[in-house]
Amino acid sequence: MIVKTLLAAIVAGLIAGVFMTAAQEMRVVPLILHAEEYEGEAPMADQPATQEPAAADHDQHSSLNGTSPLGALVSALSPVTPAYAHEHEGEHEEGGIMFGLSRFSGTLLANLVTGAGFSLLLAGVSLVIGYPITLANGALWGAFGWLAVHLLPAIGLPPELPGFPAAELGDRQVWWSATVLLSAVGLYLLALRPELVAKIVGLALIAAPQIYGAPQPLDISSNVPAVLGAEFAVAALATTLAFWLVLGVVSGFINDRFAKAR
Amino acid sequence: MATSTASSISLSLNDRLVAGIFALLIGAFLVFGAGLANSAVLHDTAHDTRHSYGFPCH
Repeated sequence: MIVKTLLAAIVAGLIAGVFMTAAQEMRVVPLILHAEEYEGEAPMADQPATQEPAAADHDQHSSLNGTSPLGALVSALSPVTPAYAHEHEGEHEEGGIMFGLSRFSGTLLANLVTGAGFSLLLAGVSLVIGYPITLANGALWGAFGWLAVHLLPAIGLPPELPGFPAAELGDRQVWWSATVLLSAVGLYLLALRPELVAKIVGLALIAAPQIYGAPQPLDISSNVPAVLGAEFAVAALATTLAFWLVLGVVSGFINDRFAKAR
Repeated sequence: MATSTASSISLSLNDRLVAGIFALLIGAFLVFGAGLANSAVLHDTAHDTRHSYGFPCH
């Protein structure tokens, strides 16, 4: 039974992941590709690290020197943003898409994994707190997942295009993960607990990471046009909302089918 | 509502918690791998996905 429950969640996640891939290809990926033209004429994901243009190599080194005061000064004055430099740093240690997949296949694979992951998380929360996901409430479940995982963290860290300035990756990941966790607990207390105290604590938990503040870059200059960034932020939030709604409804549908089949 | 559906798919409270925690662990692992793991290969494969989902990325 446990296995069936988990399988149901995985199937729902895979379906939502396929849907997400289509939505991304239409609305989001074109903006990413467009932004990468400004990122230093180095379309990254679809060429192996060895074919890096010389310019990118040069940027790479300026970022590697970033630990010394002179290097810090150079990278602060450099038009190349820390985010960009970091990306190529990562690529230098054997990048490339796994299994030699095409860029699209890599994205599809990642969407399937992410979809299954979020679906399992949603099912896990539902099982632990004892509120089943049904066809009737699936959209609500999805909407709350989107709030916790996307909208609330996006207040501090909006979805970013390649080439956008950003603070230290580790700091942002910690803040993002903590915000998702606190927001999810906060939303549960706010929406599903009847006690007034729980609602107040829930609001406080949701607000806490925002008041603490997300890690921000020191230098916000970027080659990527702001219009692209705005379009991208909306497109990313809209497609993820659609993803979560599909995920919630499909999860509910599969759960209902299971319940009826018994 | 919670109890009626839980019993209709015949999950006891204990089973439900085990399944729930199991799902949370696997789900967190998958999302971490696709979205956050600091590996160049994972990063490049999931690049567009990471950006689209608003994961903090490079």
